Amino acid sequence: MKNSRWLSVYAVAAYAFLHLPLVVLAVFSFNSSRFTQWEGFSLTWYKAAFADTQLAEATGNSLLIALAATLLATAVGTLGAYGLWKRNSPWITTSLYLSLVTPEIVMGISLLALYQWIFRYLAIRLGMHTVILAHVMFCTAYVVTVVSARLRAFDASLEEAAMDLGATEWQAFLRVTLPQLAPAVASAALLVFITSFDDYVITSLVAGVDSETLPMVIYAMARKGFNPSVNAISTLIVVALGGLILVSSRLERNEAER
Amino acid sequence: MNRRVFLLSLPGLAGCSRSAGRRLNVLNWPEYVAPETIPNFEREFGVKVRYGVFESAEEMLARVMSGNSGWDVVFPTNYFVQPMVELGLLAPLDHSRLPHMGVLDRRFQSPPWDKELRYAIPYMWGATGILYQSTLAPAPGAWADLWAPGFRGRITMLDDPAEVIGACLKKLGYGLNSEDPSQLARAEAEAARQKPMLRAYVNEIVRDQLVAGELLAAQAWRSTAMRAMETAGDKLRFVYPREGYPLYADNIAILRESKRSQLAHDFIGYLTRPEVAARIALTKLESTCNASARALLPAEMRNNEALYPPRGTLARGEWFRPLSAKAQRLRDRIWTEIKSA
Amino acid sequence: MNRLRFWCLTPAGALLGGLFLIPLGIIFAYSLLTRGPYGGVFSPLTWENYSRLADPLYAAILWRSLLYAVIVTAICLMLGFPLALFIARAGRRRNLYLSLVMVPFWSSFLVRTYAWMFLLRDTGLINSALLAAGVIREPLTLLYTPFAVILGLVYGYLPFMVLPVFATLERLDKSLIEASADLGATPGATLLHVIVPLSKPGILAGSILVFISSLGAYLTPDLLGGGKTIMIGNLVQNQFTTARDWPFGAALSLILMLVVMGLLVPLQRRGSEGLL
Repeated sequence: MKNSRWLSVYAVAAYAFLHLPLVVLAVFSFNSSRFTQWEGFSLTWYKAAFADTQLAEATGNSLLIALAATLLATAVGTLGAYGLWKRNSPWITTSLYLSLVTPEIVMGISLLALYQWIFRYLAIRLGMHTVILAHVMFCTAYVVTVVSARLRAFDASLEEAAMDLGATEWQAFLRVTLPQLAPAVASAALLVFITSFDDYVITSLVAGVDSETLPMVIYAMARKGFNPSVNAISTLIVVALGGLILVSSRLERNEAER
Repeated sequence: MNRRVFLLSLPGLAGCSRSAGRRLNVLNWPEYVAPETIPNFEREFGVKVRYGVFESAEEMLARVMSGNSGWDVVFPTNYFVQPMVELGLLAPLDHSRLPHMGVLDRRFQSPPWDKELRYAIPYMWGATGILYQSTLAPAPGAWADLWAPGFRGRITMLDDPAEVIGACLKKLGYGLNSEDPSQLARAEAEAARQKPMLRAYVNEIVRDQLVAGELLAAQAWRSTAMRAMETAGDKLRFVYPREGYPLYADNIAILRESKRSQLAHDFIGYLTRPEVAARIALTKLESTCNASARALLPAEMRNNEALYPPRGTLARGEWFRPLSAKAQRLRDRIWTEIKSA
Repeated sequence: MNRLRFWCLTPAGALLGGLFLIPLGIIFAYSLLTRGPYGGVFSPLTWENYSRLADPLYAAILWRSLLYAVIVTAICLMLGFPLALFIARAGRRRNLYLSLVMVPFWSSFLVRTYAWMFLLRDTGLINSALLAAGVIREPLTLLYTPFAVILGLVYGYLPFMVLPVFATLERLDKSLIEASADLGATPGATLLHVIVPLSKPGILAGSILVFISSLGAYLTPDLLGGGKTIMIGNLVQNQFTTARDWPFGAALSLILMLVVMGLLVPLQRRGSEGLL
């Protein structure tokens, strides 16, 4: 199935729409002025961003949290979607729905209340672990939603055929169903990574002294208005992660061609 | 594809380790110290400081309310001091451990929110006024001027109920902290009348928009105004409105949960040293509450009337106070009504 | 068969129970309490927080938010479906194109919103370009309008539509499309009668994600709408921040959740096997 010319033209326009603000951000990260008029090329803001150890630490925290949340939420969510596909469980489905419709601030406050209640009995504090758990919580529903959408287009007879041929349930799941789900699982993981990486509301409430994340630092900086250092960091992150994606898709292509 | 991305990024993350040793955790507004303030303290006392920030005083309160947040030193705004004391969150200060504190400005030696400075030491103070293009003639000098038809679409008010309702109350000649329903109803009517003329309800972003000339005037915090004037020079001016205006002060306090009481006192003692406080006031363009620090500032800053207005101007200012639950609820409904109109 | 299902659902069930339902119970308890003088929650128990919701002011805000959310969802669907189709048909470049949809979202939401403020303001790129081209003589008021809010929400939540739609389109049975073409259907007819119906699960999943996210939005109305219109998300946020009225905020959120569930459950009934 090839893309028609119209669809390709449309896609170019859509990508332009998605990337335009990003290009603007990147361009103005090289502006010598702090303000929004262009006043000449400069690397001042990159130097400032690199000199900032708090930023580096927050970036590390954010990546770690997003990675952990992605791995856990994708695993829990994919298994959950599969389990629900086998046979629906009304209370899990309803809870997932509810978690999707819960305003972020409410989720943050309620988790904070829960943590504080637990902390009365256990000698632990807010930190990376509490943030990761919170992220896994609100991201799992995304995974289930995306993976379930794919599962509904999946032909159950394939799995039955595998079992008729002597595969156990687990083998059928791992060898037949899961590979079919791979693109949906990958999309879900991407969605989780980005949602987690970007979350501010819930994170700021359940983060402790040691778990400041990048959005928290960026909020603090951007609060005072436009700040080119923030653009510089954003540009660096996009270039770094974008580069990784490019490299990995190149690797994948080579693998496929082999 | 994704799996690979994750695997590729793992080695970099394994290197994230934390320095151990003595540490002080400070929760403050963003960028509220001079660039060298924290590094110098760390060097002098051989400790690490974590400088965390909050977006609003309410967020700060939510984050420390549990009593085991891990923070040691916080910066409550004046009308949060009493509530935090009553919630049992603040530890009494030991003034014998604050030996080098300079002399506070007379207004802050016995402030209404903590008369004996038992829990909080005044740090910086601010106010709300009008920031405007200096080419405007006549120049706005009163809140009432922000209702002038000529400003349609070119002015903004702050996105903050206490500020907007406060300005309307002041325009009508009432007190800033009024809890009287009929006064508040009249204030709401003023705000509703003004809303169609407003470009937006926005906070710090007005700095950019005034500098770029998109706006003619804006209700603005003095700290925002100082930053804008730093960039725009004479193009912009700040005025303390004739009818009166809100004042606020940020204070340094120690959380009761802190197990590093001595170090926290050392930190407060350090921040209140006149030379340290002066550097902060100088680099951040804030008004220090410390008279000894102000004396160390260069003359043009010490005598800057926006930062340190003359006594007559100061007398028109009114402190924000904590409001009763009933008044807060009424004001919130009014604010919701204004915003959704 | 049941053992596998059990182990698949246990982690999700434990997570939801421990970190969602129990905290939600706490929120329900909050909604029955009284606001403390400085925020926080105190006894006595009361239904008052719910009776306050009878105020038509809040219904009007809810109604406007629903309207915005529907508009945003419709636009995201119109923009996102063709893009997902393009990616699904892109062959080996699929992963790359999919990632390109997500790339802008690696910078913080706030920063991206600022970028739009930058483009839309009076002296922004769009107005400057139009002025320079002589299309307009006075800058258009783009920022701080409902248009800007909807634009910001569409921009923010488009990937929520693209990803699930792509996930279903991607494994669509190609023989069905070929069969449709063989039987003489035009590409348009095939799209309308074969591809769209078959990708319904993805469309529904995407629509729900977009609808729910934009309904709860609060930052976009603040920053791009200039705080001149409030959505239900702002109202809730405000109760937990400026107003410090947690019990009322809790009641408000629970009612909001009920309303949204009330809208989604019939949708779920209509979809044969449910959305999740």
